[in-house]
Parts: sequence; structure tokens; C-alpha cells
Amino acid sequence: MNTSMNKGMSAAIRFRHVTRRFRRSGESAPRAVLENFSLAVAPGELVALVGASGIGKTTLLHLAAGLERADSGRVELGEGKRAARLGMVFQQPRLFEWLSAARNIEIAAEAAQVDRDIGRRMLAEVGLADYADAYPSSLSGGQRQRVALARAFAVDPDIVLLDEPFSALDELTARKLRLLLQRLWRLHRPSGLLVTHNTLEASLLADRIVVLAGQPARIEALVEIEQPRPQSAEDPAVFQRHRAIIEVLEKLAA
Amino acid sequence: MTATDVSAQQVTQDRRSGWQRFLPADLAIRILPGLLFCVLLAGGWEVMAQVQQSPLIPDLAGIWAELKSILVSGEAAADIGTTLGRIALGFLLAFATAIGVGLASARNRIARYFFEPALLLGLTVPGLVWALLCVIWFGLSLKTSVVAIALGIAPALAVSLSHGLNAVDAQLIEVAHVYRLSRWARLRYLWLPAILPFLTSGARLAFSLAWKVVVLVEVFGLSTGVGYRLNSAFISQNVAAVLAWTVAFAVVVAVIEFGFFQVIETRLNRWKREAQV
Repeated sequence: MNTSMNKGMSAAIRFRHVTRRFRRSGESAPRAVLENFSLAVAPGELVALVGASGIGKTTLLHLAAGLERADSGRVELGEGKRAARLGMVFQQPRLFEWLSAARNIEIAAEAAQVDRDIGRRMLAEVGLADYADAYPSSLSGGQRQRVALARAFAVDPDIVLLDEPFSALDELTARKLRLLLQRLWRLHRPSGLLVTHNTLEASLLADRIVVLAGQPARIEALVEIEQPRPQSAEDPAVFQRHRAIIEVLEKLAA
Repeated sequence: MTATDVSAQQVTQDRRSGWQRFLPADLAIRILPGLLFCVLLAGGWEVMAQVQQSPLIPDLAGIWAELKSILVSGEAAADIGTTLGRIALGFLLAFATAIGVGLASARNRIARYFFEPALLLGLTVPGLVWALLCVIWFGLSLKTSVVAIALGIAPALAVSLSHGLNAVDAQLIEVAHVYRLSRWARLRYLWLPAILPFLTSGARLAFSLAWKVVVLVEVFGLSTGVGYRLNSAFISQNVAAVLAWTVAFAVVVAVIEFGFFQVIETRLNRWKREAQV
């Protein structure tokens, strides 16, 4: 069993002894991607999940989002009795192409019973005040992902799940959006999980980095980050953490 | 720029604004080619009529005289109205059936396999068969045309609906789940925008099929409607009347196409067009 927080501590996201199996084509028995896996994310914390492709990072995120169900174990979200509000940013922006940028945000806000004006306010917050009435297909990739970020934070989220949110963007745009994410995180203070293959990104954005390895996945290494946000990509400490994680991953690969 | 150049440019601009004042360029491009086709068709027909000089190929004046006669007498309005009413009722019955079958087929594999032979049969059986069977089963009644139309077009509508439902982006369904959109919001913002283009093209196809089926039913077993009038004209060998009824109904179909289907299509595709700007 892997765990990274004391049992008594309050957690915004808690995976309790989760097992998730998948049957792949050509295999007779289902294979466990996660078995008896436990992990807790503290309130206000952003935990980055890194590891090889297919290790189970996205499965964890989908379990937290309710897009998949655990075969056994529990996934608990939020601390109180109220259902936790979720915001999620996917690798692709996943916007409703037939709705304007503002409307894309508003329909999520309405469902979360947040004031409808939040659509335009959030667009202003992400630097797209002039694009409220624009359809997603008239926006650039970076602008579309900004709208997706605005939607995730417009619902006044308790938890934000980030599934490789900047991996489909060019590096310059990704850098700008990482800064934007840090700013939004500071303003809204949710808890969250970040799945990424970019260890530098994990070092820059996360409060804690969880390196996953093995089949079923186990926590191979944990890197706690003590520095407060916002962090700079130019900070030598960020680069040192990035190097440390790379070394762990290289050892695992060897 | 010389004075001559300036005046030439002004003349060009004036000339352009002159005809564009009555017919904007976009509209001209949209209308003129189709209009040209109609003019050439009419011209070709007139040449053929003059060369042949046969009662089987009446000239444009003869067709126009028949057309004017059915318009002035009110026959055209009454019978085309009757035919359209039958199409509308058949359409409603077909739509209700197609929603049930299409939804079940899209959501459940067993239901899809269950309805597959019915849809295949429905798509391949000619409208003539449904028309004949319904006349035999129901005789001279409204039910005949309504059921025949429904049988003729429901499969096409069900297939369109099923394709539309299957085309809904699974990634957007996940977004709707994560953000806990209500059933109504999912229907309004996710399902309807995704299936309406399929449904519009299915309805357009269904409308053209419905028109063919209802005319057959009216030819075989009814005493009103465009099909009945066409049959009467055929029995009296009045080719001009056959063509006049055909032209009158074609105009109504064109009005429905441009005034209804294309308007809906334009509205549905507004986001695509604006995105290209």
C-alpha cells in the first residue's frame, strides 16, 4: 500500500485502497493498473503525477473526476458534506464549438450555481476580454486553452484536475499559460491533481510531485516542494528538482 | 492619378453600386446560376416544342395557360394544400416512430441489431409498394396516405437520428459529466446541436421521399391532391396540365427548401461561418 499523508489529516482528494483493472484486447484476464493504491491531496495543494505512459496517471485523474469507477476502494472528494465542485482542464480544450467562449464558461457556471456574469469576468481574467462572443474555432490553440482554464476556475472549484493541459501547445504559449495557471491558483486556492510528462512543468507548478512506477502503479518517489508560489522557471531550485525527478525516471527506465 | 482616371473609377463604382443596390453580389452568386439553368431548360423546351409541333410536347404558352387556370380557379391552392397536409401528418407519425427507433438504436446494441433488418427493409422497399399496400389495407381514407408516408420515410429519419446521436463527441460528454450539467443543459447544449444537422438532412431527404409516396397514393386511391390531379390530366392526355401541376408543386417545394430547410441549416452552421471570418 502506498500512502503519502497521515490517515487523520484532512484531505481534499483521497484515494483509499483503490484497485482498477482493465482488460486489454488479446488478454484473457484483466490487468490491474492500480491495486490497493492510496494517496491524499491536502486542501490547497497541487500534486503532480509523473511517470511513464500507461502507468495509471490519467486513470487516477478519471477516478477523481468520476469518469471511471474503481473496482474496489474509495475515492473521496472534498472535506464537508457538500459535493466538491470540480474544474477540469484536458489536453485538448474540449469546448462546445457551437457556443461562444463566454457561453462555454457560463453553462458550467450555471450548473455550479455560480453567477452567470462570471463568464465574461473569467475571460477578462485570462486575457480574453475581447473574445467573449467569439466561437472557439476562431481562436488560436492557446486562446482556446485559456477559455478551458477560465471554465475550470469559473465554477468556484474546490478541486481542479489538470490532464496534461499544456502538452498540445508550443513552448512559448505553454510558458504563458503556466504563469496564468499559477496566478489563478493563487487567486482561487483550490486543491488539485496535475498529470504531466513534463517534469520541469511539475517542478514549477506543483506543491508535491508523485513519481509513479510499476504495474500495478506504486509511488516510487515523492518530492515535496517548500517554496511558495509563484515560482519562476528560471529559478535554479526548480531546475534542480526537475533534474532529480529525471534521475529517478532514468533509474526506473534502466 | 489624372482627372480621367478619377472619373473612370467613379463610373465603375457608380455602375457597381447601381446593380448591387438591387442585387448584392453574394445574393447574385447564390441566385443567378440556378436561374440561368431554369431559363435554359425553359428555352430548350420551347425550341423542342416548336420543332416537334406535337400535343405531347406543349409549348410554354400552353403550359402557362394551364398553370394560370389552376391558380386562378383555386384548384392549385386546394389540392397542393391537401397534399402538403397529408405529408405533414405522415411526417409527424414518421418522426415519432423514428425518435423511438433512432434513440433505442443509438443507445443499445441489442436494439440496434433488432431494428437493423426493419431499417434495411424500410430503406430498400420502394414507395410504390407502401402506396399500393396502404390503398389495399385502408381504402380511400386519410389514413392511407399518412401511413404510407410514415412507412416510406421513417427509416431514413431513424437512420439520420441514430447517426447524429452516435456522432456526439464522447469527450464533450465527459465535459458535461465533470461540470455536472443538468439533463436539460445536456440536451440543449450538447445533444441537440450535435444531432440537428443530421436531422435536417434526414428531414430533407424524407420530405422528397414523402412527396413521391403521397403522389402515388393519390394516383391510386384518392380523389383529391396533386397526385389525383396528375392522374386526371394523364387520363385525358393533357400533357400541359401534367406539367402545370408539376411546376406548381415544384415551386412550393422550392419555397419549403429555401424558406425552411436552408434557413434552419444557415442558423445551425452560423458558428462555422463566423469562425471562418
